[in-house]
Amino acid sequence: MENFEPEIVAFCCHYCAYTAADMAGSKRISYPSNVKIIRVPCTGKVDAIHLMKALEKGADGVYVAGCLAGDCHFKNGNLRAQARVDRVKKILTELGWEPERVAMVNMSAGMGEKFAETAREFTETIKKLGPSPGKLTGNESKAAS
Amino acid sequence: MQKNNSSENALSPDRRVLVIGGGVGGIRAALDLAESRRDVLLIDKSYAIGGLMTQLDRTFPTNNCDLCTVSPYLSQGARERHLEIKPMTSLTKLEGEAGAFSATLVTEPRYIDTDKCTACGECAKQFPEAVRVTPGLDPRAPTCMRYPQATPFAFSIDMANVTDIAALKKVCRADAILADDTRSETVMDVASVVLCVGADLFDPAVLDNYGGGKFDNVVTGLEYERIMSASGPFQGNLVRKSDGRRPKKVAWIQCVGSRGINKGDVPYCSGVCCMYALKEAMVTRERFGDDIDTTIFFMDMRTYGKDYELYFNRARDEYKIRMIRSRPHSIVETADTKNLSITYALEDKPVQETEEFDMVVLSTGFRVGEDTKNLAGVLGIDRNPYDFAATHPFNPVLTSKPGVYVCGVIESPKDIPETMVQASAAAAMAVTDLPVVPKDREMDDIFPLERDVRGQDPKIGVFVCDCGFEIGGVLDVDKLLAAAKIHPDVAVARAVGYGCSSESMANIEAMIKENNLNRVVIGGCSPRTHETKFQDLLQRVGLNKYLVEIVNLRDQNTWTHMNTPDRAQNKAVKLLNVGISGVRKNRPLVDHTLPMSQNALVVGGGVTGMTAALKLADQGVKTYIVERAPALGGLARSIRKTIEGEDVGVFVQGLVEKVAAHDNIQVLTRSIIVDHSGMPGLFKTGIQTGVRMNYMQIDHGVTVLATGAMANRPAQYGLGTFPDVMTQLEMDSLLEDDAARIQAMEQVVMIQCVGSREPENPNCSRICCQAAMKNALRIKEISPDTQIYVLYRDMRTYGFQEEYYRKARDLGVKFIRFSLEMRPKVVETDNMLAVHTHDFILDSDIEIAADCVVLSTGLIADDETTEDLGLMFHLPRTIDNYFLEDHVKLRPVDMAQRGFFLAGTAHSPKTIRESITQAQAAAGRAQTLLAKKEINLGACVAKVDPDKCASCLVCVRACPFDVPFINAEGVSQIDADKCHGCGVCAGDCPAKAIQLLAYEDDQILAKLDGLFER
Amino acid sequence: MITAEQKPIQEIIQYIAPYGRILLVGCNECVTVCAAGGRKEVGLLASALHLNSLKQGKTIDIKEITLERQCDPEYVEELAPYIDGADAVVSMACGCGVQSVAARYKTSPVFPAVNTRFMGASLGQGVWAERCKGCGDCVLGITGGICPVARCSKHLLNGPCGGTSNGQCEIGPETDCAWRLIWERLKELGMEDRYEDLMNAKDWRPGGAAGPGKIIREDLAQ
Repeated sequence: MENFEPEIVAFCCHYCAYTAADMAGSKRISYPSNVKIIRVPCTGKVDAIHLMKALEKGADGVYVAGCLAGDCHFKNGNLRAQARVDRVKKILTELGWEPERVAMVNMSAGMGEKFAETAREFTETIKKLGPSPGKLTGNESKAAS
Repeated sequence: MQKNNSSENALSPDRRVLVIGGGVGGIRAALDLAESRRDVLLIDKSYAIGGLMTQLDRTFPTNNCDLCTVSPYLSQGARERHLEIKPMTSLTKLEGEAGAFSATLVTEPRYIDTDKCTACGECAKQFPEAVRVTPGLDPRAPTCMRYPQATPFAFSIDMANVTDIAALKKVCRADAILADDTRSETVMDVASVVLCVGADLFDPAVLDNYGGGKFDNVVTGLEYERIMSASGPFQGNLVRKSDGRRPKKVAWIQCVGSRGINKGDVPYCSGVCCMYALKEAMVTRERFGDDIDTTIFFMDMRTYGKDYELYFNRARDEYKIRMIRSRPHSIVETADTKNLSITYALEDKPVQETEEFDMVVLSTGFRVGEDTKNLAGVLGIDRNPYDFAATHPFNPVLTSKPGVYVCGVIESPKDIPETMVQASAAAAMAVTDLPVVPKDREMDDIFPLERDVRGQDPKIGVFVCDCGFEIGGVLDVDKLLAAAKIHPDVAVARAVGYGCSSESMANIEAMIKENNLNRVVIGGCSPRTHETKFQDLLQRVGLNKYLVEIVNLRDQNTWTHMNTPDRAQNKAVKLLNVGISGVRKNRPLVDHTLPMSQNALVVGGGVTGMTAALKLADQGVKTYIVERAPALGGLARSIRKTIEGEDVGVFVQGLVEKVAAHDNIQVLTRSIIVDHSGMPGLFKTGIQTGVRMNYMQIDHGVTVLATGAMANRPAQYGLGTFPDVMTQLEMDSLLEDDAARIQAMEQVVMIQCVGSREPENPNCSRICCQAAMKNALRIKEISPDTQIYVLYRDMRTYGFQEEYYRKARDLGVKFIRFSLEMRPKVVETDNMLAVHTHDFILDSDIEIAADCVVLSTGLIADDETTEDLGLMFHLPRTIDNYFLEDHVKLRPVDMAQRGFFLAGTAHSPKTIRESITQAQAAAGRAQTLLAKKEINLGACVAKVDPDKCASCLVCVRACPFDVPFINAEGVSQIDADKCHGCGVCAGDCPAKAIQLLAYEDDQILAKLDGLFER
Repeated sequence: MITAEQKPIQEIIQYIAPYGRILLVGCNECVTVCAAGGRKEVGLLASALHLNSLKQGKTIDIKEITLERQCDPEYVEELAPYIDGADAVVSMACGCGVQSVAARYKTSPVFPAVNTRFMGASLGQGVWAERCKGCGDCVLGITGGICPVARCSKHLLNGPCGGTSNGQCEIGPETDCAWRLIWERLKELGMEDRYEDLMNAKDWRPGGAAGPGKIIREDLAQ
């Protein structure tokens, strides 16, 4: 577990979080390479199923990164995303999985530092939780299939 | 791709703008004009356009590679239909007047047919002496082109060095050698001229004290850039010229040849050297080892641009760059080691120090070259005392000759962002010599018919940029490609160097065609900046532009994980798998378009807003100015005189009258914006206006934000407590209204950086040093015997403002430095003010009695306004609450949200002159958008599958823009031209009947599959 | 519309524990609209079941399919090609759908994944309320369009009970007293006199008291 390197998926909205991630790059701010970004136009596009599927396919943690409250380019997509993240947390709790494996974070386009900080914090959380319950029983290959 | 030497007749013969100088400024001006559907001829005396910027390794403040940032603009240049580029061409005669000039142009022979040349490099290989080479340290540059993304993409022969023309012709397989090419002269009608020739860099060889050009390891800032550059003489390896070894200790000496009065010096400040030295030092430590000792010797650290102070803080605090406030007298070379010793004095130590360095960089600044002086003569424009173009006091792009405009360094020393702003401003001014409404012209590129790839198995091409060291320096690109090739449907996997260079783009195009690829993955920069470029590439080879995936290997990988290359490699493989897996599911899509509103909304009725509005209105654009205050004028109303001595009140009044009289402008004072909707090109904004706050709604296609900033008034140094403590603004009024009071003052103390460059307002307010100089000189004029003390941290009288600083010193104004740790104190005893401060040179505390203390309080962002409008318009802000432009370097007036433009002090603190320039630039950029007449909505829209729809109304209720409705067939309908493409409906639909095109569920799931593939 | 909500996942997990191959069937009618068993919920439940089996180190094979309407035999027939490949069927339709599937595929165990709650109406995004009991003898014409059978907790037909307080039902302040609503509505309509009309004791037979209801339309039935 010491050397556990979690796989983390971050669904980032084009206008804020993805731009913030680029900004972190241009400022050469480092964050854990465990985080892999999938770009969406708005976090309102991120379906609860996408979060579940990410876990199913092998992610140890998934988070959705959208604009700050009230700042969504599309008015309220980030609030919708938050609601879906909450729903998935509920499902995970029912299944006996740690709900902390999914999260919603918010930031603005200029917040390169915040992006890196969030990535570090979330990675740390997942490292503490350990590998996804789906991987513990030695059927990791199944998780990826 | 359209060739750049299109026939003369393709452009209308008159009504064209001549842009002289193909650096970034000239390219920007030319592109702005071309995008506004004005015909442009861009000439440059060099054989490729690009200017100085293409020789730089990286540029501040983003520290990214210039080639990557400028190349999209360059190849855009080759594409624009209204733009003709003539390299190796100069102007020899200009006759006539604004609107109807006749220009005589002379083009030197290139001896190469650019249409035929494929830049294969065979001629360069076999006759290296005959091809023109990269300037810089080493004449044996890897390529004879100035940089890999050269435009035009062709060689140039130096016929003087050709001995056997027949042999040369023989090596050229393309038969492109034109042995009998000759100098040609063209006479052309032009309406106006934009001069953007930049300036030369000072050659320190004329100085005998620094060993420039004499000592191997003393280089200029530009030479250092070339050494670090991946396309430079050492392929991006930082080594000493004397022994090819990596230096361990590098020093920069600032102001070499600038801010001086000695032989070879110029008195002005070159404006950019502090920032470039910081950048070079940071990049040195970042790329070549944080064990390299980097030291900057400086007089004043002039980081006055937007967020530049933060950059300086980062350099000092995070990168641990040593800053020594001293101007060393000379450099001595040690004979055997070729090391360099510098003797310098420290401010707080009575003795001199001597220290040895491996390498010394001389931060040299700008000089106007002889060619440019001659050109000024040809154009008939006046020069200022330093040979730069003399310009209008309130309009820096106007020269002394009507119809001739100027931008960039030839106007005054400046950096890339300011050059870009001024270039757009000059382009906007040049348009005023053309007829108002251009005829509608077909503008779209004609791409070949799209191949139908539906039903075909994916045949994927994976192309990875090494981007010089940006990607290739961290990742093993070959290994990455090997990993990509494992996928059976990846038909081609290649490294493409700088993927965005013309050469690589042509290669990729060829490989797509040869292998009949139907899907493409590019591993390189962020799709945010480079997607369009590669989408265009696909269209050129007849593929739908949505069949490409851009994998962000640089911004989100090598840049952030540069210190852990193994992890970066691992992540790169995964990211590439995401791209490959994703692209399989990409489908050809069609973009939607809508006609655009031709009105403009200008928010803010200060000098900036009024200038922008007038510029737009003059071009026939119906313009609304919304101003919160009861009258127009803004902050400028409280300023009386500029540093040049111009009367601001008269100027502002003139603007107000022009605005009021303009048929195309509607002024709404006492008005606030209360709601906003729509999309770029079709905005609707609700305004409450007048004393009765009546509601009205405006349709507009573009929005210019000119909301300004506020005069700062922090309760520091007794401001608001002691009656004789005032701000520079108040002193400005006093100087105009109460000369007697000034004359009665024996001693005046000015304190700089009040409320700026401090944790709560971290940036420099930029305007205060010049404001202090302006007022000090005026006090001296009214009352020569008044003693003036200026307590400062760094004097930032950039550019030609330095002259006022020198004049103040000549008149006996005393300058005493202070630091944040030892800041001055203002005390009052017996109704008499005194300022206590520490004098570093005397190394003791001193007390100065003062009749008056003047605080340079600068500007702060109008937090409330930018927050409200930021929320309403969805616009990002900086950490200090100014609006944040789309790209600090290349798009300084465009906002990330299309259709929004930014000008004046809402962007960052600046002078009236600078605000006016940015206002013109914003108006010009807005026109480029309006000229398109229709808006491209893209293809990312929601699509309903009527067979799956359960008519449940979830989408109807969820859509933030009320677009979906249940149609006559009883199923949801989402009109593509109304859909904003957020995908909320798709995420909520319980029947999974809605897909967001380009982000369909199977595409997202495929990306996840790619990520977890093993 | 029939309104349902998903069962606790653990209950579903218990049902299918012995089986490795599951046919998970959604319905594109009522349960889609009430977000309990449409295509999306099928996907989410499938994913949840996968996560569960992953944790237990087992594998589970889930075939997802959503029928246009699970209570019509023709649509149910569409499951035929898949039924043999499944050890069990989980239906996300209302009870009618579950039974239709069970009736057609007699050898396959069929388990419900939702609890059918009531016949309801939508009060806005994500909110549904009970509006009809299917009593078989509609009285809405004399109660101002508000059903006392469905909306009075005691199904009273002649005015409120003594438990009404401040216009709310005694079972909880979040429930309106149906008879208060009826009275207000009748007043609005100027039909207060209707309130005085006595309703006879209700005949519950058409609503199920006489055994399962069945409707046969002679003109349509074959």
